Amino acid sequence: MTETIKMAAEVQKVGPLTRLSRWLSQERVFRWIPFILVEGMFILILIIPFLMTIYISFLRWRANRPFEQAYLSGLRNYEAVLTDQGFWASLGRTFYFAGFAVLFELVIGFVLAMMVHRITRGQRFYITIFLIPMMVVPVVAGYNFSMIYLDSGPLNQLLAPFLNLFDINPRIRWLSNPIAAQWAIILADVWQWTSLTFLIFLSGFSALPPQLTNAARIMGASRGQIFLWIELPLLKPAIVIAVVIRLMEALKLFDPVVLLTFGGPGTSTQTVAYYLWEQVWQFNKYSFGAAASVLLLIMFSFLIFFGIYLISRQNDAVERGEV
Amino acid sequence: MAEQDISRDVTAHHAKKDAARKRRRRTVIRHAILIGWALLIMFPIYWMIQTSFKDAGEWVTWPPNWIPNDPTLKNYEQIFSFNIQESGVARQATEQPFNIWGATADSIIICTISALIALFLGTFLAYAISRYNVGGKRFRHSVLLIRMIPPIVIAIPLLMYYAIMIPLATDAVLGARISLFDTRLGLSLLYITITLPFVIWMMLSFIDEIPYSFEHAARIMGAGRIYTIRKVVLPLVASGMVVTFLFVFILNWAEFLLSLTLTHPDVTTLPVLLNKFQSASEGRLYGPQAAIGTIITIPVVIMGILIQKHLIKGFSFGTIRK
Repeated sequence: MTETIKMAAEVQKVGPLTRLSRWLSQERVFRWIPFILVEGMFILILIIPFLMTIYISFLRWRANRPFEQAYLSGLRNYEAVLTDQGFWASLGRTFYFAGFAVLFELVIGFVLAMMVHRITRGQRFYITIFLIPMMVVPVVAGYNFSMIYLDSGPLNQLLAPFLNLFDINPRIRWLSNPIAAQWAIILADVWQWTSLTFLIFLSGFSALPPQLTNAARIMGASRGQIFLWIELPLLKPAIVIAVVIRLMEALKLFDPVVLLTFGGPGTSTQTVAYYLWEQVWQFNKYSFGAAASVLLLIMFSFLIFFGIYLISRQNDAVERGEV
Repeated sequence: MAEQDISRDVTAHHAKKDAARKRRRRTVIRHAILIGWALLIMFPIYWMIQTSFKDAGEWVTWPPNWIPNDPTLKNYEQIFSFNIQESGVARQATEQPFNIWGATADSIIICTISALIALFLGTFLAYAISRYNVGGKRFRHSVLLIRMIPPIVIAIPLLMYYAIMIPLATDAVLGARISLFDTRLGLSLLYITITLPFVIWMMLSFIDEIPYSFEHAARIMGAGRIYTIRKVVLPLVASGMVVTFLFVFILNWAEFLLSLTLTHPDVTTLPVLLNKFQSASEGRLYGPQAAIGTIITIPVVIMGILIQKHLIKGFSFGTIRK
């Protein structure tokens, strides 16, 4: 009897705020509200614009004309993209840059991580220094390298003694030569992103169980054997992840291109991101850009799904304790 | 018998000494290589900082000076004073590349607010994923998918969406043209969306580490769900949230393509500002550029060093066994 009175009194006291917090603390609300909000963001900011882009990609329209004048033109934009030499050339160049850059980053990052793992003193110092490039804003990194490659920059100064031997004017304009400019961009990328591969490999190395290597050493395994048969297989997940993540990032290459060369000289350093950016912003070819980004997303989706498949397979293997 | 023992001892002793010498030599070689790489890493940054202290005549001399002859703060004064005099006109002029105050304000506001909102949303979703398995088993991996989409593929649709579609739609529905193009709001919304996957991923790794039994105990003792989160979960993930916030802030701070695309005259982030210098036609101002670069770089490098320890853990992407 008294309890019911108490309860009734409580019900009366409940204000809107308490009722809100009570509603919020229901499990199903708690489960779904953040999910709905986040998915809502994704739909509003990514999915809807992309669906519209698919629609625009079928239109015949330039941005300097009002949108109302646009009319459907079937697959003409896709045809234009697929037969466009610049698009394919820039796509090939992107893979060329990404391939070399990632190769160097993997090798250097691996060697550095191994060395830092093996030394006993100064580990923290090296890690701190080696991770700095990753935090430098890519635009600033691009600017820094543009200073270094300057015809009166430190690179030429360091090379001058050698160049003088061969009677070459040491004030080389690196960014005016197509091949040198391409490698300038690759080097800038390696400078910046070796720190990421280093980081991934370092966490891989520090997760190695020391008992295994010790046991192998006691059983008389040589250093090479330990590396090849124990450490390398255990590091396989880290290697897969480094390759996937770096390759994905390298295919987006844009910032250093803008900062260093503006795609030049000629078109020799235009990556696919730069090429499309130029097509849309310089030449207002919106529907062309839309078709190209749809095609690019389809192409990248295969890579992305393959990458995620590889990563999640590695994760599952780790969870099962196979690796 | 005894002699044999002694000789064996002697050879063992020599072998040990040899091994020790070898090891020492290896250590020295390793340190030499590592220091070499550290110098390579630091050189471009050093070059920028020292250029920022050079006077105009010294920016491009041959041979270049490695240490400024006569260090000055002129470049810093220059970039910060351009605007005080011209700030009134600065906003109207389309080619006003020197508004560093405006750009700094835009960068700080956009990056902070979008990082905070992304952190808030992402943390709650991460909690829901971790505890209730919202979205299914593969959801964890599939959120990363968004992160892997090349930004140019996002930029082109979003430009049309912000600059053309939303104004058309609002014109039809509300009768007023509202454009998200070249606004802080538009850029922030985009930053929130593209950093959410990272927040979710990082917060998952922190929340997964908290044993469920803590919350369970609190719940059994009669605490409500929100109370449990506030008093049990939040204190345990607070440091993780700080790390995630800083990480997302650095990502936003460094972002270039999207801000270059989606903002033109009004809103300028610092990387876009630096790029405007680079593309300036009337002779490049190397010194002020270096000064801006230094100003952009220093805070994020410090933040990065602060969260470094967590980055090592976070970038293992689940490959480290707990």
